[in-house]
Amino acid sequence: MASIRKLEKHQARTAYLFITPTVLLFTVFTVIPVVMALYLSFTNYDVLSRNDWIGFDNYRRLIEDSLLWKTFRNVFLYSIIFVPFNILISLLLGILLSRSWRGVKLFRTLNYLPTLTSAVAAATVWIWLLHPEFGLVNGLLSYVGITGPAWLSETRTAMLSIIMLTLWQSVGSNMIIYLAGLQGVPDYLYESARLDGANKLACFRFITWPQLRPTTFLVSTMSIIGALQLFDQAFVLTQGGPANMTKTPVYLIYQQGFNQLQMGYASAQAFVLAVAILIFSLINMRITKAEESIV
Amino acid sequence: MKKWLVTSIVLVMTTTLAAGCGGNNGSADKETGNTSKAGSSTGKKTELTFWGDWGGEGQKQFETMVDAFNKSQDKIHVKYVLQQDMITKFLTSATNGGTPDVLFWDRWRTSLYAPKNVLHPVDEYLTRDGISEDDFYSESLRELSYDDKLYGLPLTVDARALFYNKKLLAEAGLQPPTTWDELEAAATKLTKWNGNKLETAGFSMGDLGLFNMYLQQAGGTMLTEDGKTNFNNEQGKQVLEFWDRLMNKDKVYKVGFELGLGEGQDAFVTGKVAMLYSGPWMLSTYNKYGKDLDYGIVPPPAGPNGDKGSVMGGFGLVIPEGSKHKEEAWEFIKWWTANKDNALLWAKTSLNLPGYKPSMEDPFFKDDPKWQPFLETLEFAKVRPNHPGYSVMETDALAPNLQLNQQNKMSIDETLKKSQEEGDKMLKDNEVVK
Repeated sequence: MASIRKLEKHQARTAYLFITPTVLLFTVFTVIPVVMALYLSFTNYDVLSRNDWIGFDNYRRLIEDSLLWKTFRNVFLYSIIFVPFNILISLLLGILLSRSWRGVKLFRTLNYLPTLTSAVAAATVWIWLLHPEFGLVNGLLSYVGITGPAWLSETRTAMLSIIMLTLWQSVGSNMIIYLAGLQGVPDYLYESARLDGANKLACFRFITWPQLRPTTFLVSTMSIIGALQLFDQAFVLTQGGPANMTKTPVYLIYQQGFNQLQMGYASAQAFVLAVAILIFSLINMRITKAEESIV
Repeated sequence: MKKWLVTSIVLVMTTTLAAGCGGNNGSADKETGNTSKAGSSTGKKTELTFWGDWGGEGQKQFETMVDAFNKSQDKIHVKYVLQQDMITKFLTSATNGGTPDVLFWDRWRTSLYAPKNVLHPVDEYLTRDGISEDDFYSESLRELSYDDKLYGLPLTVDARALFYNKKLLAEAGLQPPTTWDELEAAATKLTKWNGNKLETAGFSMGDLGLFNMYLQQAGGTMLTEDGKTNFNNEQGKQVLEFWDRLMNKDKVYKVGFELGLGEGQDAFVTGKVAMLYSGPWMLSTYNKYGKDLDYGIVPPPAGPNGDKGSVMGGFGLVIPEGSKHKEEAWEFIKWWTANKDNALLWAKTSLNLPGYKPSMEDPFFKDDPKWQPFLETLEFAKVRPNHPGYSVMETDALAPNLQLNQQNKMSIDETLKKSQEEGDKMLKDNEVVK
């Protein structure tokens, strides 16, 4: 008895030692900055000369900031289309590529490749593809007699173009997560279902999909957070234009803080974004009901 | 034994971590240590740090000047340090004492930073050393000033002028335009459509940020004296009506036509755009890629009442308030920007118009038909208004509404009204708060 307790103590001590570096990192680079940002959001901090407590002034200014709310509308619109498509496409790819076909590994690699590209590099290539006169996309469309739009410069297609690019870039990594999830579904469930005469669709509906719930929760949460933090692609492809249609909150926060030297106000904006992400993650948790045990 | 090993590893890791956090200070100490050593080995030179964000070719151009300065005397040694994200880096360094001695400065930022007391005024140096303000374009000095104090000297000046493709204009039997009407006529004649496909755009309308310039040509100004927008009026309307004719009636351009066509495929280089507004910074690109491109430059065409207008911009050199060697920094700035020969050397290495007027008397500028139109344009070009919220107003309030108007989603009257409302609010939100 005594020796076991001693061993546990010893193990606990070692464990603490091992997690210390990570916890220190987390505290220094995450917890402290967050607390500081919360404090700064109540000041008129400009990095250089001022740091006075101004109470809720920043938050009052937020309410009347129509551009900020426009950027929020933009990313919500983006999320509403991006997140479901992201889940759907990566799940389909995952199922398709989970079979052991010849050369399936090659296809898996190919589908994963876009994820490895840097967002800025990919965006630069896409600007080319989407050029109204010389781009590949409109070139293909013109073969079937359609005059394609100026994708990135027209108000009605700019956000759509960004959705296409980010989908192309992100389904690969989510496909891998789904592949892993699919491998975790025990075979005996399918066997017994088949004995009961279930067809493939029924198998998917009653076994695969429910079994994949934690995976879907992970994928959807990550996509929602990623969507609300959209920045690089919108920055490179459209610079937030045309007509502020693709401007995002992160873009605005950066501009307000570093270009206009209003760190206090930028911190307040950042906190609103953080709260929005929290709310949407909670809603998502409700929808996917991930907290319930499934098996 | 093993336990000791674990503990020591963890200890080492945490100390390196802690050191990593304070890394900035550590390396700064090291650097100063090195430099003082270097200084003592070559006599008693003062080490100056010069920050800029030009890499590649630009870095070489800067280093040419720095080397020339270092050779010209034996008291000061300047070192160019390339900072990719210079302004952000300057923000943090200005608060912890690691500031450079000389800063390469995009002049429009002056009104934003000067009120925060991070730049050192140079008026006294100017009087002491007898440097005449008349030797510089007054507009470029105005852009470096705030509250009647001057914060540096201009290194380059630029302004937009009209570039045209000589071959295309000759084929159409046209002379370079000098008025809005001639510009419209020429652009219409130069445009070629193939069904729904635009093959040659007569005139580029891709940059709506040029509104300021057109407004000057129509006889207007962007802001009033007391810092409010000043384009919801007859002048603003004239500009938008002119644009509307070019875009929708004459169809000389298509939205997004030039987007993504970088250097080598540039629409002007490949002859897909016949005329466009651009600045001297494009000369090297056009000369490099446009072997088959024969182009000319004229000052911007005048507006309906004969008003001329262009926007002046450019860079300067400033001394941060945190610098410990302000006198020496000023020596370096003076040598570079207020000396005929050195300003000319800079102009020739970098193909920029220097801020120092006497150096433009040189045949290098006087006899070159590519420089001449810019010199003419600079005589009437105006800098952007000195309001800390101006750039935000222009990009976030004005440009989006102009884009809606260009795509026929908003009427001219409503565009001007909305731009005024949103613009005035942004100017107010971003003005100097004491």
